Amino acid sequence: MPASTTTPSRRGEPSRLQSAVFQPIGDAGRAALVERRIAEAITGGVLAPGTKLPAESELARLFGVAPATAREALHSLRERRLVVTRRGRSGGSFVAETANAAEFATRALCAMSRVALRDLAAHYLAVTGACVALAAQRADPSEILRIRGRLDRYTGNDPLTWRRLADDAHLEISALSQSARLTREQMRLQAEFSPFLALVDASEADRDRSRSQLLAVLDAVAAADSAAATGRVRESIMDAVDRLIDHRAELARS
Amino acid sequence: MTTGVTTVASRAVAAVDGYFADALDALEAWRLDIAGDIAAARRSGPVTTSRLDALVAPYARQTLDTPGISVYGAGFIAAYDSLADAPSHLAWWQGPQRARLTLANQAINKGNIDYSELEWYRVPLLTGEAHIAGPYVDYLCSDEYTITVAAPVRIDDVFVGVTGLDLLIDTVERDLTPRLALLGADITIVNTAGRVVVSTNHRLATGESLRGDAYRDTERVPCLRTPLEIVLV
Repeated sequence: MPASTTTPSRRGEPSRLQSAVFQPIGDAGRAALVERRIAEAITGGVLAPGTKLPAESELARLFGVAPATAREALHSLRERRLVVTRRGRSGGSFVAETANAAEFATRALCAMSRVALRDLAAHYLAVTGACVALAAQRADPSEILRIRGRLDRYTGNDPLTWRRLADDAHLEISALSQSARLTREQMRLQAEFSPFLALVDASEADRDRSRSQLLAVLDAVAAADSAAATGRVRESIMDAVDRLIDHRAELARS
Repeated sequence: MTTGVTTVASRAVAAVDGYFADALDALEAWRLDIAGDIAAARRSGPVTTSRLDALVAPYARQTLDTPGISVYGAGFIAAYDSLADAPSHLAWWQGPQRARLTLANQAINKGNIDYSELEWYRVPLLTGEAHIAGPYVDYLCSDEYTITVAAPVRIDDVFVGVTGLDLLIDTVERDLTPRLALLGADITIVNTAGRVVVSTNHRLATGESLRGDAYRDTERVPCLRTPLEIVLV
């Protein structure tokens, strides 16, 4: 390969990597960015129906934007019926009671192609699998016991509590990799994938199945068996994707 | 153990204790003051998250400015069910902007994460002593590989929370490893779980565990002020 295509040349054409640096960032305004961040949190179930949003001035401060920008974002969210604003003493902006995360996830699932869904799962597996492999080498058994203890103490079967518990457990196992980069990436992917996993775990039997899959991963990490840990993560993700695709097909038929 | 080895290990102990003493002292400087401030605030009405934030802010700033160490984050973490308007709360400032931490505003809702079992909260609560927790990936606050120094705060013998500060391992490696390298032997600092904090041995990665047969017979010399150990590997 000629040198000019891989290294910056002083006079000739810029390299392809250099050209990529100066691509337009896009004209999505700052209000649209704020709107998208909040909308994703609502549709992803991170902000539950009825949750009070920070006041306009506080939102502006948190996002580092002008108050007018926060106001514009809230206006769009109201138009999309994701947020309602009430006046008076106990007033403020709230996540709409009709903003049902399961419904959003179902709609997103139906809109997603199978190839996109399997690709998301492949990405999730690459990161989570790498996390548990490292965790198996580096975690102290007492750290695994603590995660297990928390899962064991919850004997109920409330879908929302189970989802939070499972998300926390995934995050904690990933952090045991001792890799900040992998943990951050896992957190990002968990936020994207978790609403779909909530659909997989719709029934009590489904949640029991997911729980035993999670416990099997923990056992492998506790046994310092990297290969088994990654293998069990793969099995549970593949199983979840299969169940999602079946679910999607059912929805398409009805 | 030969005299030479003893000398190296004890010098390493002094270097590690000295380094973390700055952090422990920075927290000890306001541990009693904040207890007094919260007790006084309680007498004038229910203590809410925002009132707590206002009380903690000046101490957090002072801790972030501690000379001799680069503090990444600092503040006070309330005991569960000790505040009037929330079950839990972190009055915490961090990063180059010293921004106040808002958990609910992150990629995933960290506001639901239960911190009662995390090492920096659990150990000071249990022992009543200051603790050095980690290294660990701090997915709650810094999102970085971190050591948290934390000390318990009590009002009339009732635990009301911990004062804390975060040191990024990145900084600890830069600051502490050169001091250890001067001692002229391979020196590895591990926590009580056997996890490597920093090492002058280039082949030993931070975060690895010194476990298994290879390390069964290696001698560990405990530090005096900190729950860390020196291993000459």
